[in-house]
Amino acid sequence: MNRHLAETKKCSEPECITRREVLRASAALGTAIAAAGVPEARAATTIRWWSTQSSPEQLAAYRYQIQTFEAAHPGVTVKFERTSDEGYAAQLAAAFAGGKVPNLVTHLPSFAVADYWNAGLLLPFDDVISSVGADKFLDGANRIYEMSPGAHAAAGIGHTAANMLWLRTDLMEKGGIERAPETWDELRAACRKMQGRGIYGAPLPYAKNSMTTLVIIGFIHQAGGQILSPDLDVAIDSDEAENALEFYRSMRELSPPGATSYSWGESLTAFVSGATATGLYAGRVLINVNLQNPRIADRITCTTYPTISRDVKPWTFNDYPSIFIPAAAENPEITKKFAAWLYRDEGYIRQVNATPGHVLPVLKTALADERYRDNEIVRRYPDEIERMSVAAAAGHNLGWETAGHKTNVRAGAIVNSGVLAEMVQRVVLNDENIRTVLADTAGRIEEIMKGRR
Amino acid sequence: MSTHNAQATKSKKSVPLDSKYALLGAILIAPTVLVFATVIVYPLVSAIYLSVFSIYTPTMEGEFAGFDNFSRLLASGEFWRSLWNNLVWTTGTLILQMTFGILVALMLHRNILFRSLARSLVLFPYFLSTVVAVLVWRWLFNDLYGVLNHVLMWARIIDMPVDWLGSMPNAMISLIFVGAWKYFPFVVIAVLARLQSIPRELYEAARIDGAGRFAQFRDVTLPQLRDVLIVIVLLRTIWDFKEFDLIYLLTGGGPVISTQTLPLMVYKEAFALNQMGAASAVAVLMMLIMLIFMTVYLRRTRD
Repeated sequence: MNRHLAETKKCSEPECITRREVLRASAALGTAIAAAGVPEARAATTIRWWSTQSSPEQLAAYRYQIQTFEAAHPGVTVKFERTSDEGYAAQLAAAFAGGKVPNLVTHLPSFAVADYWNAGLLLPFDDVISSVGADKFLDGANRIYEMSPGAHAAAGIGHTAANMLWLRTDLMEKGGIERAPETWDELRAACRKMQGRGIYGAPLPYAKNSMTTLVIIGFIHQAGGQILSPDLDVAIDSDEAENALEFYRSMRELSPPGATSYSWGESLTAFVSGATATGLYAGRVLINVNLQNPRIADRITCTTYPTISRDVKPWTFNDYPSIFIPAAAENPEITKKFAAWLYRDEGYIRQVNATPGHVLPVLKTALADERYRDNEIVRRYPDEIERMSVAAAAGHNLGWETAGHKTNVRAGAIVNSGVLAEMVQRVVLNDENIRTVLADTAGRIEEIMKGRR
Repeated sequence: MSTHNAQATKSKKSVPLDSKYALLGAILIAPTVLVFATVIVYPLVSAIYLSVFSIYTPTMEGEFAGFDNFSRLLASGEFWRSLWNNLVWTTGTLILQMTFGILVALMLHRNILFRSLARSLVLFPYFLSTVVAVLVWRWLFNDLYGVLNHVLMWARIIDMPVDWLGSMPNAMISLIFVGAWKYFPFVVIAVLARLQSIPRELYEAARIDGAGRFAQFRDVTLPQLRDVLIVIVLLRTIWDFKEFDLIYLLTGGGPVISTQTLPLMVYKEAFALNQMGAASAVAVLMMLIMLIFMTVYLRRTRD
């Protein structure tokens, strides 16, 4: 009590500052700072750009595109943020749910776009396509994004032939293999001949991830089957799918033991490092081999992945790398300008040439441009790039299995559920009865298609 | 008399001292209550609320589903398999953590060479980011370039590389081992702190009574450690039961769902299948399971 009185007395002096005054002053200062900060924060416009493609070479190309855009649009800042093929679904779901969406998303597969569009989460992309020039795109490049006549959910930023068969010509020669395998039997025989001395036949994935899912979709089509019928009824419980799983199981002994955990990165590294005689990947193999293992740079080639027999045509998985704008994104007008900017000749060519043959150009102007062809990798592997371009142009994916199929807006949900990868693991790792597994899988896909899961 | 009445009237009008203190108490405790309500009550109520809806995660829109999410989960094999995996993981890694932790703490309690350095180094796994730790272990386990397979093949223990993370039971064993490696330092810290406060007289008395080293450990050390071990088991069980990042990054729940625990199932429902309601239902069931475990555990260890 005495101490309190002493303090009261002490603070009654004119020069004394009371605790209450200090608190008031602090509150006033805080409010002033906050008030001063708000207009400044609002003055700058930031565009957040997400992409699943972010190798060092690609980042360098993006930096160029960002810098030129920022220079042409003072006050606008573009912030690049990485996502991944395995992680984008969860990250975007959280972003959409939390309302903190990026302004622009690129390189996601087309089937993901359809799912988001169907939920009303995307802005129509037609303005951007018009701004770039619809006639500049390759014929049919944006067909998969046309959700209703004249309404595009996104555009293609490139093409990718995701499941090419990569081969080591030196190992083929050693194994007495005269030409690239065209059927599964030839592939298996070739892998057996080339396997040995620490080298495995093929880095096929058996993990619970999107790569296994996408690869097995390809195998089922290469057996002449399909996941869904053209009218989108579940069609996976078939003899063709059974054949595909049988063959896939038989290839396990020709894959590295750790292929049960392989995703795109591990599978790519296995071939590039020389640990496997064949590979299954897109064009990134070219630059990675040249940078990381130049010893085999002149001993690699690619072709479309073999099928069950010569009667069945090759089926290439083109995930149609996309570009889209979430509906809840801030500053949609300037974002559209930036989206169109990504297609400007110099920047676009740098972008596709960052990983030549991997993300193939969808602009006729880029294909005709000398700067595109004036690239060491493009010059060195013209046949391989041509094969990938042809394969990608005729490619499909789960969102659009064949030209006769309707667009499947639940394809993203099927891929993300992991049901197809689990099907592979049950057959190959658990050695379960294929027909039982196929019936279960068909049931689960049915539930997903009905929107129950 | 009149003066007394005036004073009484005045005191009736003014607020009594007790009420003032009560008001002050309420004001002082208000921030704590507010924070508690924001960070604990709100998420809890929110999770329970979401669990009775069918909600599409990206839009957070949906419809009332009653107990459908719960009944579907309880009828699914996946939930029970995930719960079983959760129990195997939690029990396995906890036993290893406790065993390693107590052994290392006993060792570090002795007067060994470089004891201070050893005490610092032993904490390293616990301080290391889980992402970094998992990346390191994934490389060690790698079939083509991993040191583990390389050494085992060099020592002629195995002929071919072992698939440590992609097949069963290897995946679960690897997971339990890495979990124990990552978290045993917590046990070391807690046990070591308690060991240092056990009176030496107890050991002297035991020695006089003819107790050997093992008898001293059994009859003196362990009873003295009892209280701290109860707390460690309680905390580590809670933390291990809801472990997500280490398992997700190391095996992703695979092969198939052989290492999928309930937290991974929550993530899968919420973000892979975009079913936030079903994910919340799993989370609520997890909470109930933990609640039952904790109640039984605390009752049994009360004395």
